[in-house]
Amino acid sequence: MGVRVGPPKKRDEDWFTSLYATEYAHIVRYGLRRLIDGDAAAELAQDVFVVAWRRRVEVPDRSLPWLYGVARRLLANQWRSRRAAPDLLPITNVDLARLAGSPGADTTVGVADVRTALATLNELDQEILRLVGWEELTVSEAAKVLGCTGPTAAVRLHRARRRLADAMADRPAQTRRSPVLVTIREDL
Amino acid sequence: MFGAERTRTLLGPADPARTAAVEPPLVSARELIDRAGATDTAAGHRRVRPTRRLVLTAGTLAVAAGAVAVLQPLGEGAPDTPGEPAAAGLVLVPVAYQFDADPPAAGPQLRMLADKIKDAAYDHQSGRYMYHHTKVWGDPVMTSADGRHHVAFASETKLWQAVDGTGNQVRTQLEPQYPDQESRDYWQRESLGRPAATGTPAPSVMPLPPEELRQPSADPSELRERLKVEYGAGSASKWVGTLYGQYVVPRATRAAVLRVLADVPGFRWRGQVTDRAGRNGVAVTFDDREHDQQSLLIFDPRTGELLAHELLTLSPMRISSYEVILDAAWTNQPG
Repeated sequence: MGVRVGPPKKRDEDWFTSLYATEYAHIVRYGLRRLIDGDAAAELAQDVFVVAWRRRVEVPDRSLPWLYGVARRLLANQWRSRRAAPDLLPITNVDLARLAGSPGADTTVGVADVRTALATLNELDQEILRLVGWEELTVSEAAKVLGCTGPTAAVRLHRARRRLADAMADRPAQTRRSPVLVTIREDL
Repeated sequence: MFGAERTRTLLGPADPARTAAVEPPLVSARELIDRAGATDTAAGHRRVRPTRRLVLTAGTLAVAAGAVAVLQPLGEGAPDTPGEPAAAGLVLVPVAYQFDADPPAAGPQLRMLADKIKDAAYDHQSGRYMYHHTKVWGDPVMTSADGRHHVAFASETKLWQAVDGTGNQVRTQLEPQYPDQESRDYWQRESLGRPAATGTPAPSVMPLPPEELRQPSADPSELRERLKVEYGAGSASKWVGTLYGQYVVPRATRAAVLRVLADVPGFRWRGQVTDRAGRNGVAVTFDDREHDQQSLLIFDPRTGELLAHELLTLSPMRISSYEVILDAAWTNQPG
């Protein structure tokens, strides 16, 4: 990626309002895919945009992967901070097994299988699959969210897809593994 | 990409949010900006503009020598040493600059520094782990309801991290510190700033999960990208701090960092300073008038290592956050 010539666009309130209006729903959906309920997803989105305003000079023009990266770090921080308190429900991946069997979820066998199989994978595998499959990012955009290189993300995606296929083929009823969110030490 | 398309085809129908109707946000963009301001670095409500003075540490006024501020060292027995919290907490004041008014452009000085830096102690070390010992204050800063009084707890972190990301992090919360005396008085009255009767809280130890770490290169174009210089000197300052806080930066890369910064418009040369650990350094700053903040980088004049970085508000001039890098090394022994 080359260095952009000229100053970044003016990052004023109008810019932020437009960003908020454009991307809010995407961030809420990101949260819906990983959190227990819609309220938590909305709160996550608000937190993401608070960070976006504070770090507005860093927000790239193609902002969505950057915002997803912030959301991922916020979730990791929340999960990490609650990990020491066992009486609290950890902030974790959306309960895919529950969704697969819930009345409002798709009831086709295929969808349920995919969700159940996905839930058996480790967090990194799940995350790159979700980023590409659900957030519809390119591999290089997913790499930015995950803080790795494009080739590394491509390898991770390839391996994650293979493990997902294995899970769907061989172990459809395996118990869901405990989620392991990768903690990111960079402060927001 | 073929793999990405196949992934979408496979997973798309299983997306639990694919058809979810997202309610309009309950909070406006303006409210979020206000919320950010409540913990942000810029708070323009102080009545008294602090002057550049020395650090007042729990009633002890450090004495300046010449144009260089003498700041309370973090060494053994210092008031903010872990295990011995200050009775009332520090009041922080800006580092004093050799060139306070009309500082020259930093480019020529940074290039000169890049040309003359020597090996750091760790340039002759080897080991599996990168070790960093840092002290951080601010961001977030807690602010009183009226927006006038601020406090944040300092913390000290020791980080052992291998290049695959694994290792240990030990963090100790220290005493509260304040950007001005009024804040200190206020929070003392509110009892929130008083150290716990049991002293410094126990360190929290966290094992680090795998994470891909990309060692910093001395290649200028890679460094420019890594330091995000395209977004200006404020962004570059932040990422220089991030770089030195996570990696043990070799000499060639240290020199390259200085040369990259020399080409970023806006940096001013502040000359000799003393950092909050009492070490001699040379400093550059960038004034971001639009966002009312100043970025400060303090380098070791001998090795070019980053000793500390800070963020200040310009009006009023006060500390928003600082990080002091007390030690960096290679080691085989994780803590």
